[in-house]
Amino acid sequence: MTAYLIRRLIQMVPIVIGVLLATFVLFKLVGGDISQQIAGRNADAETIAEVRHEYGFDKPLFVGLEPLEGDAWETVKDKYTALVKEQIAAEAKAKDRPALPLSAFELELKAQRQWLGDLFDERLDTRQFAKVFSMITLDSQFLAHFKNAFTFDFGRALDREKISDKILQGVGPSLALTTPMFIGTLTISISLALVVAFLRGTAWDYSIVILCVAGMSLPYLSFIIFGQYFLAYKLDWFPIYYSPDRPMIYSLVLPWLIGVVAGLGGSLRFDRTIILDEIRSDYVRTAFAKGLATRKVLFKHVLKNAMIPIVTSVVLSIPHLVLGSFLLERFFGIPGLGYLMYEAVAARDFFILNAMTFIMALLIAFFTLVADICYAWVDPRVKFD
Amino acid sequence: MNRTLKITCITAALAFLLAGCPKEGAANPGEKVFRYPLVAKVKSLDTGNMTDVYENLVGSHICESLYTYHYLKRPFVLEPQLAESMPEISRDKLTYTIKIKKGVFFQDDACFPDGKGRELKAEDFVFAFKRIANIRYVSPNWGGFKDRLVGLDDFRNYTAQFKNEFEVDYSREVEGLRALDDYTLQIKLVKPWPQLLDDLTTVVAAPIPKEAVDMYQKDMIYHPIGTGPYYLKKWHKSVYLELVKNPNFRQEFYPAEGSLDDAQAGLLADAGKRLPFVDRIIFRIIEEEQPAWLLFMRGQLDMAGIPKDNFSSAVDLNALRPTKDMQKRDIELDVYDLPSIFYIGFNMHDPVLGKNKPLRQAISLAVDKQRLNELFYNGRWKVAHSLIHPEMNEYDPALVAAGFMKYDPQEARRLVAEAEKINGGPIPELSIGMGGGDTFSRQFGQFVERQIEAVGLKVKIDFTDWPTYTDRMNKGQMQIFGGGGVRFSTPDALGALAMFATKYFAPLGNSFFYSDPEYDKLYDQAEVMFPSDERTELYRRMERMVLQDYPGVFTNHRVQYTLRHGWVENFKPHPFLYGWLTYIDIDTEKQKSYKSLTKELETTKSE
Repeated sequence: MTAYLIRRLIQMVPIVIGVLLATFVLFKLVGGDISQQIAGRNADAETIAEVRHEYGFDKPLFVGLEPLEGDAWETVKDKYTALVKEQIAAEAKAKDRPALPLSAFELELKAQRQWLGDLFDERLDTRQFAKVFSMITLDSQFLAHFKNAFTFDFGRALDREKISDKILQGVGPSLALTTPMFIGTLTISISLALVVAFLRGTAWDYSIVILCVAGMSLPYLSFIIFGQYFLAYKLDWFPIYYSPDRPMIYSLVLPWLIGVVAGLGGSLRFDRTIILDEIRSDYVRTAFAKGLATRKVLFKHVLKNAMIPIVTSVVLSIPHLVLGSFLLERFFGIPGLGYLMYEAVAARDFFILNAMTFIMALLIAFFTLVADICYAWVDPRVKFD
Repeated sequence: MNRTLKITCITAALAFLLAGCPKEGAANPGEKVFRYPLVAKVKSLDTGNMTDVYENLVGSHICESLYTYHYLKRPFVLEPQLAESMPEISRDKLTYTIKIKKGVFFQDDACFPDGKGRELKAEDFVFAFKRIANIRYVSPNWGGFKDRLVGLDDFRNYTAQFKNEFEVDYSREVEGLRALDDYTLQIKLVKPWPQLLDDLTTVVAAPIPKEAVDMYQKDMIYHPIGTGPYYLKKWHKSVYLELVKNPNFRQEFYPAEGSLDDAQAGLLADAGKRLPFVDRIIFRIIEEEQPAWLLFMRGQLDMAGIPKDNFSSAVDLNALRPTKDMQKRDIELDVYDLPSIFYIGFNMHDPVLGKNKPLRQAISLAVDKQRLNELFYNGRWKVAHSLIHPEMNEYDPALVAAGFMKYDPQEARRLVAEAEKINGGPIPELSIGMGGGDTFSRQFGQFVERQIEAVGLKVKIDFTDWPTYTDRMNKGQMQIFGGGGVRFSTPDALGALAMFATKYFAPLGNSFFYSDPEYDKLYDQAEVMFPSDERTELYRRMERMVLQDYPGVFTNHRVQYTLRHGWVENFKPHPFLYGWLTYIDIDTEKQKSYKSLTKELETTKSE
């Protein structure tokens, strides 16, 4: 068992690294420059350049160059600044549009890069390889991406709030919303599935299956709008919206109810199918033939054997509980992570998306391992070799 | 425990949970609480980097500026807020000497010795402005100060040498920004800045105690320390902000001057009474329309916007008053202009559009602005005939008859033929960028597409998320951009004209990349002119120059419709004054009786 666990934990490392690579490519390379967005609508070129600097967007992507002692920038500064200005003007002329204004900071940065490039080429030409290698710096966006992830230092979001604070504040409400919903749906779904599977082919079975299909066909949003309007507004049974004036639990009861009702259809149909498969097995017929009580057959034998696929589905769903439920959170004002993720997507806040993707990758990898361990718990035939 | 007992216990627990649910927004007896919905999150309450309407609304009740607008007077009149009086301005209009009120105290906070707020000094303004100039602070509001104050740009360059904003030495002298003594601030300008006093009304120009920045550093976004009538008590970022009356707030009184209409509307009933009236303000962040509407109808919000789907049940548009059902609930309607301009913009750098005025004009004439207004804004907004809003002094009424923005598909078809000649063949398919993939944007895009195609042009709509849309628009990567809009922050119309000056190319506001050397020359002239007939004439001339060039289709001016419960008193909309809640009063008796009123109405209805 220990050897198996260690092996699986080691296997998780390339998965997590793979996710980090994918997020780097997606958010840094494909996502584009978001410094303008951070700097604000009316920010000038200097401010945008400063944002690039503050968030490390001006660092080289993978590897960069660094001047060595004795490489005096000041002596060539004017020459290279003039060169860059010329290049920008020529580029603008070729595109037949005025050159975009650059701040002094940005201009110097560009000029310095040009100088470093020339310096590097010159040393390559003269084969000063020791100096060439000493100029290479690994202080890059790529390394920072990995370092930040592994140290859980996700920095600040576009609104300048610490991402770790946002996640820590959101995880509680999200779990408070989704965990009871999940447990409620699971319990009701398995119990009802056992009953309808036992009563298969009867009017009860057909009615419940029809209700499930109807429930699955209705959009989630309609459950929310209906529940909020009738149960909260018209009947005044529940609060319409979360208010920090009172404990959050009061504002969670209606979303739980809506979540359970809306999620029951799909879950019940899945569990019913699994249990029906089991109920048709030879050993069940044998058990009934031997005169075992229905309750004992269903709960001791059928349920235990049906648990293997159910446990897989359940354990793999657990990481997603952390993400909350975007629609319920938005309509009922629950400050959870579902809402946070939605806003991050809408605002292109790659910092939050990056952090959440990494955390989700870790959770999914971990709970996949837990699911495998649970197999052995529910099915004694499974052995860890 | 037997099964019956278990079930009884569970049922009792659930009943207790539901019955024990405290009422929302419950106030202590006699306490006045105002509850207001915000449709977006407040990101920061650090005045130096506040940018949007919601931040300004919340921030303006905590922090104050040198000047403000008179709450009741129209046209808008400036008056001192933290300044003792209006400034002393030198003859050359370059030096402003401003006396600061004595005996104004910051709110109590842990950043001060013993947690007691200290007295406001002129140096707090100097620090706040220098902080915005600090390049390492990365303020999005620097653009407003750039090239304006003597020596401030040099100070900004000086800050570039530091690794972070907190290493900067703020005692470094800036010639154009000095505290002559504790109560005198002197501002020296590079060139005249006629809008300076208007700009000094914004919360961005509020004083900041250096102690607060030293203590909270980057977390200043959560710690607004001001001199205003309220202080921030609770802030749950996604859902809720609670402001409470500031016990250190100086004696300020409700205005005694107003028009006859104001007196008739009861807006002068509280004249001379001490401000503020409300004990607590609760801002609730509700981005979905349904919960906000239901909370308002339940009486748990005091004011609300009107969702598009509920508009006809709430407003009798012909009579411009609330419907009978709303009147029975003692709900009032406020309708007011928000100086703004909405448009479909052309990228003047685009090779097809930029050099083809008949094409741009054809597109403009092809769009039925009246129909657009009816379809998308329930006919509530104003159809635009000009850039400058009709509520602004420089508005030119003759532009309605000039018909630059008229709807004339026949003329548009003729112009398309002319445009094809200029293009040397058929006009290639045009691309319109639309921000947001929501239903509204899609319907808006489809409407514009249909209108333009009706005059013989081919169009495709390119839907993207808002950040991508803004990014592409600012980089000139879009041919036509749909659904743009600007809300003006001061009564001076220069803001509308700045949108077309070459020096304000995007991201600074000119997303059209409109460039005309003659216009730029006039703009440079206009921006240093103080209000006069000559300036009005110049503004109007420049406006016509832009309209004649058709850099966009100018569609609407926004009109705001809000509902307000009858217990909210003293409300007079002011598009440029964000600290208006200071003047609001609540009739708590009416507020309390609302629930029984609605129950009565429902009973009558069901009978």
